Amino acid sequence: MAGDVHNKGVSWEVQQNGTLAPVDRLRNDRSESPTPGLVEGTEPGAGQESAMFVHAQSFEDLTADNEVPTETEPKGDSVLGESVEEEALCLAAEEKIQEDLHRSKEEDVCTEAWRSHRKHVFVLSEAGKPIYTRYGTEEALSSTMGVMMALVSVVEADKNIIRSIHADGYKVVFLRKTPLVLVGVSRTCQSDLELTRELQYIYYQIVSLLTLTQLNHIFQHKQNYDLRRLLAGSEHLTDNLLQMLDRDPGLLLSAVTCLPLASSTRDLVSSSLQAAKAKNLVFSILLAGDRLVTLVRKKDQYLHHMDLHLLFNLVGSSSSFREGEGWTPICLPKFNTAGFFHAHISYLEPASDLCLILVSTDREDFFNLSECKHRFLERLSRRSAYQALKEALKCPSYSVTQVGIPELRHFLYKSKSSGLYTSPELSLPYQSEEEQERLMGLYQYLHSRLHHPKRPLRSVYRCGETENLMAWVTSGFELYLCFSPLGTKALAVAAVNKLLRWIRKEEDRLFILSPLTY
Amino acid sequence: MTMRVDAKVVMLGKESVGKTSLVERYVHHRFLVGPYQNTIGAAFVAKPIQVADKVVTLGIWDTAGSERYEAMSRIYYRGARAAIVCYDLTDTSSFQRAKFWVNELQNCEEHCKIYLCGTKLDLIESDRGLRQVDYHDVQDFADEIGATHFETSSKTGSKVDELFEKVAEDYNSISFQFMTEETGIDLGQKKDSYFYTCCHS
Repeated sequence: MAGDVHNKGVSWEVQQNGTLAPVDRLRNDRSESPTPGLVEGTEPGAGQESAMFVHAQSFEDLTADNEVPTETEPKGDSVLGESVEEEALCLAAEEKIQEDLHRSKEEDVCTEAWRSHRKHVFVLSEAGKPIYTRYGTEEALSSTMGVMMALVSVVEADKNIIRSIHADGYKVVFLRKTPLVLVGVSRTCQSDLELTRELQYIYYQIVSLLTLTQLNHIFQHKQNYDLRRLLAGSEHLTDNLLQMLDRDPGLLLSAVTCLPLASSTRDLVSSSLQAAKAKNLVFSILLAGDRLVTLVRKKDQYLHHMDLHLLFNLVGSSSSFREGEGWTPICLPKFNTAGFFHAHISYLEPASDLCLILVSTDREDFFNLSECKHRFLERLSRRSAYQALKEALKCPSYSVTQVGIPELRHFLYKSKSSGLYTSPELSLPYQSEEEQERLMGLYQYLHSRLHHPKRPLRSVYRCGETENLMAWVTSGFELYLCFSPLGTKALAVAAVNKLLRWIRKEEDRLFILSPLTY
Repeated sequence: MTMRVDAKVVMLGKESVGKTSLVERYVHHRFLVGPYQNTIGAAFVAKPIQVADKVVTLGIWDTAGSERYEAMSRIYYRGARAAIVCYDLTDTSSFQRAKFWVNELQNCEEHCKIYLCGTKLDLIESDRGLRQVDYHDVQDFADEIGATHFETSSKTGSKVDELFEKVAEDYNSISFQFMTEETGIDLGQKKDSYFYTCCHS
């Protein structure tokens, strides 16, 4: 299973040639099938050649949390991701002075307001030392976190593991990831599983900054090390990630959404990116805000959607890449928790939303990658694709009315084989932040019903006072729909077919059908 | 198409002393007010500057102050011709950190010229009581290590241009010196490592 993280590509290729229709026939199936997409690989949005992301059959596989042991180095001649140097451990710098943490969220942890936040997240070390809290300051919570660690230890003393506590409308979820302990306290209706998954994101966020090797090393040397010293300045990354988890359906679906773009333009952008390669370049990713324009990868190397979400978060929560070119070490934990990649991050223009991320294995590669960026830009503007791309940026989303189903208010559609999803913009009545989070909460609920560990469902229909919801999962796709409360179940079922046909018609624009490699 | 860089300049110093603001002021002539945003990894920007009758392009590496990136910092200062070591005039600990960087540079980059740069002078000007790092103490330290010393404010722009101009001038005169010294070519001698810079050309 650990192999999933790396060269899943091989088995996937076999699958495509073996069990699925050959590529040329796929084309026909696409247009003729009356209910498209019941088989994986033929659903609307499925890529034609191979997937861009680490491929797995199911959501459960994708989120299954197998620690990546070191033997899962990518095979082949070059070992990707350099190992962290010993010198990285600046434990020696003991003369280091008290950090004054510049936190804007100085909030009194004794107040009712603090207690009533919907979702708290705490990270602590196994020595019970506070590392992160979503609200308030860590110092003020050292005794609370001590109690949390005590709970974990008491249960472990009996050779058991504490998973969650349910009391008084709260769920307290524990995730033990040596050398860290993560605790979520929630009043939402999310399941334990979903909450644990969110904690995993936070864990990987921390690993992406330090690597697991370094994290282990630190705590092996000094159990009561104050990790906040090394994480200083990264709190807003975690804050932002938690907000993304509340609002971004991509993190729920384990998928990424694309900027709607004519396929001819997208292909030009992709091929320009493909042409601007360098020896140690592994991934070239072009983003438009929080949407993917294209992703070109080294042959046989796959990116995990979780790692991509961490990159989205890094770029989205920092303005420091706006000016000049950024160069930063980053660990992509689902690829390899042991080493750093080095990412060249820059916007194509200062005021533009287009951000290019070039991921290399070599820390000396900055100027090579800077050169790649220039080559890419040159090529792009020569073919006028740049203009078309900038034009497309003006409408980064689409309205649900384009689908032509009057009762339909919103939907999420994920193509399983490509790992991409599409969704219209949120219109009335879901324009306020509150309403958006409420709708996300409903989708989260449906998601947890479909993916219930013991009693998974294939479809759900739920009537509510404010909206009717439907969710349907097949081996090819996952679909979540939100209808006006006046709709009926029969209408909803009819709408699904209509919607699938519409997505099929628009798939060239909404998905990346022909991902490239170099 | 990539800009040719003449001199590699690296910004070093404790986090939140204002390295990014300094670069921002110098390169974009502005001061951004808003919540503090830490630099991730490092940011690179190339800036041409007129010195006497020629143009020198400074390749400025604005590094993150966070301890997390300390192990990486070598790649940023290796081959640098100038290091602007920043400290916050209102924070003694930041000056201790500056000394750490100076020590690091003296050990690893003997050809790198050091500029000590006090930041947030505007805060001191509005309230003298805020000063925690004495001007003369730093000046003495600067003399001792052969560094140049500036006190700047990115908010008002005070002394910022002067600082970078001095960096460019020094680069210009030093490289001129070297040119005149190296008139003959000694075939037996290896290429002088001094001319090696990390910035490729």
